[in-house]
Amino acid sequence: MSEYMQGGALANDDLDFSAPRGRDHAAERSTAAVKSPALNVAIGVSAVAVLAGLALWAMQLSGGMVQTAMRNLDSWGLYITGFMFFVGLSAGGLIISSVPKALGIRGFGGISKVAVFSSIACTVVAIGLVVVDMGQPFRVWELFVYSNLGSPLMWDIIVLATYLILSCVYLWAQIQAERGKVSAVALRIVSVIALVTAVLVHSVTAWIFGLQQGHEMWHTALLAPWFVSSALVCGTALVMAVVIGLRRAGYLEVEQGNVVRLAKLLGAFVLVDLYFFGCDLLTEGFPGGAGAEVVALLTQGPLAPYFWFEIIGCAACAVICLTPALRRNGLLVAASLLAIAGIFCKRVQLLVGGFQITNLDLPFAMNSMSVTYADGTLADAYANLVYWPTPLEFGVTLGVVALGFLIFFLGLKFLPLRPTEK
Amino acid sequence: MAESKLVMLVDTKRCIACNSCAVACKVENNLPKDVWWNRVMTVGGPHLDAPSGTYPNLEMYNVTVACQHCENPACVKVCPVGATYKDPETGVVRQDYDKCIGCRMCMSACPYNGVRSFNWEEPAYHLDFPVGDQDVAPHQKHVVEKCTFCWHRLAKGLAPACVEVCSARARIFGDASDPDSEVSRKLRERPAMRLLEDRETEPSVYFLQ
Repeated sequence: MSEYMQGGALANDDLDFSAPRGRDHAAERSTAAVKSPALNVAIGVSAVAVLAGLALWAMQLSGGMVQTAMRNLDSWGLYITGFMFFVGLSAGGLIISSVPKALGIRGFGGISKVAVFSSIACTVVAIGLVVVDMGQPFRVWELFVYSNLGSPLMWDIIVLATYLILSCVYLWAQIQAERGKVSAVALRIVSVIALVTAVLVHSVTAWIFGLQQGHEMWHTALLAPWFVSSALVCGTALVMAVVIGLRRAGYLEVEQGNVVRLAKLLGAFVLVDLYFFGCDLLTEGFPGGAGAEVVALLTQGPLAPYFWFEIIGCAACAVICLTPALRRNGLLVAASLLAIAGIFCKRVQLLVGGFQITNLDLPFAMNSMSVTYADGTLADAYANLVYWPTPLEFGVTLGVVALGFLIFFLGLKFLPLRPTEK
Repeated sequence: MAESKLVMLVDTKRCIACNSCAVACKVENNLPKDVWWNRVMTVGGPHLDAPSGTYPNLEMYNVTVACQHCENPACVKVCPVGATYKDPETGVVRQDYDKCIGCRMCMSACPYNGVRSFNWEEPAYHLDFPVGDQDVAPHQKHVVEKCTFCWHRLAKGLAPACVEVCSARARIFGDASDPDSEVSRKLRERPAMRLLEDRETEPSVYFLQ
């Protein structure tokens, strides 16, 4: 039985006073980390990748989206998969940082600001991926002039914009609070609002898919809570990986007890997420019929590699996080990366799976605009994954992700994100 | 104008899958290369024009599938800018190319896969001059388009082009809110089915059995 399950041992592994003793030394090291050439190189590399992405996006717009693999029967692809994924990834930082403040419980040491900043970077990536998916990005102003407030996509745009602004305000409030310019009460109020928005942003993103009666795989009430739990998994994993990485680089000092508490949280979130998956599979599959088709598609169909990677990766992550003897830094980072990759696989299953089952399974004369692989029959097009991105899509996506990295690295260099000395 | 409910009936006992309606649609609306708003699908075996079953117990019929102009359209609800909307007077689901931002939310919301078509490239044509009716809205790159029930013809009191050309006279178009119309009479006389009725979109296209 792990220590996690035994109340008495709970406090023990949180008490680790070795870090404060090394603080003086740490301050010197972290200043060195900010000035290190490695950070400058990272900024340079991401900036170049962003520029390359912009060039590819211009290519996509001028030459047409026919250069992507998306077609009429599978009309969304890597961009929207990435959008779902990064919205989820952005959760962790904000929630890890705001829950302790909102509820007035003990936090995770000085990682709050770095965590929120990682959220901001992920949110920018998510918004960027929607923009590159649009056929007419220069008509984006119409969203504000002709808003159809009944559309889940419109809700998402509103909530996502609010979320980004709130995250920035929240970060600013934390920095000001440390300087004594914002009261603890005000900070607490901001953190409550930020927390509510964070939960909303994942639910609304889920509703873009879950409210559609057109796709058997998406149309489930569980989707919104499930998006929240998946977001908590990959978000917490990201924060843990980033914190261990930055500590290794000497950017900040974090007590091992805080990392362990993050690991326990991650373990619990992973179990909740797997539980939801189990519930959904059972509910889909039990009555037979169309739902059983979805289960077969996941467990043994074209999506099986993504399904099993997620299940095994997440299970392994839970084992590492919840077994005290395994909570070593290297393994914890591996567990985080497994969880993040597992959730990405989940996004692939959800997006491609939605298109993989045709409602009208009737042969017709296909052409190159109908479906990604239109050379054979309709059955051939769906025999394997119905969609696989083109190099252009990978390139544009990399460019948008690089924008997130660029923002994050610039923040590390220029913003006061390190824990302050008490 | 009084409220009407325009519907299309397709008699599956008459349809011979000649594809005339698909071609008439393409010509009338000056559809770009590789864009088809109306397609003939085989209900039967796994291939086009192939029956199900084994000889001599074979079965096959055809459904011509374009926008179903649903009474409860999934696409209209999800469009963030209202580029796709339902005409309140006729029940026709319309699409405004100038407003469409190309997010393709309507395409994933529509259960009738493929009736909405996106112009994945700059519209190109087989002929170097436009064909069809001059009142058809010009096609645009990176927007969603679909069957309009030949809106430009309705405005002139004409039936959609697919109805006009159907060589087997399998298509009947009219106002279902008028009990004396031919469509209302046929719907009373003949059993009819609609595609994916379980999705509760209430299509305006009926297939007479």
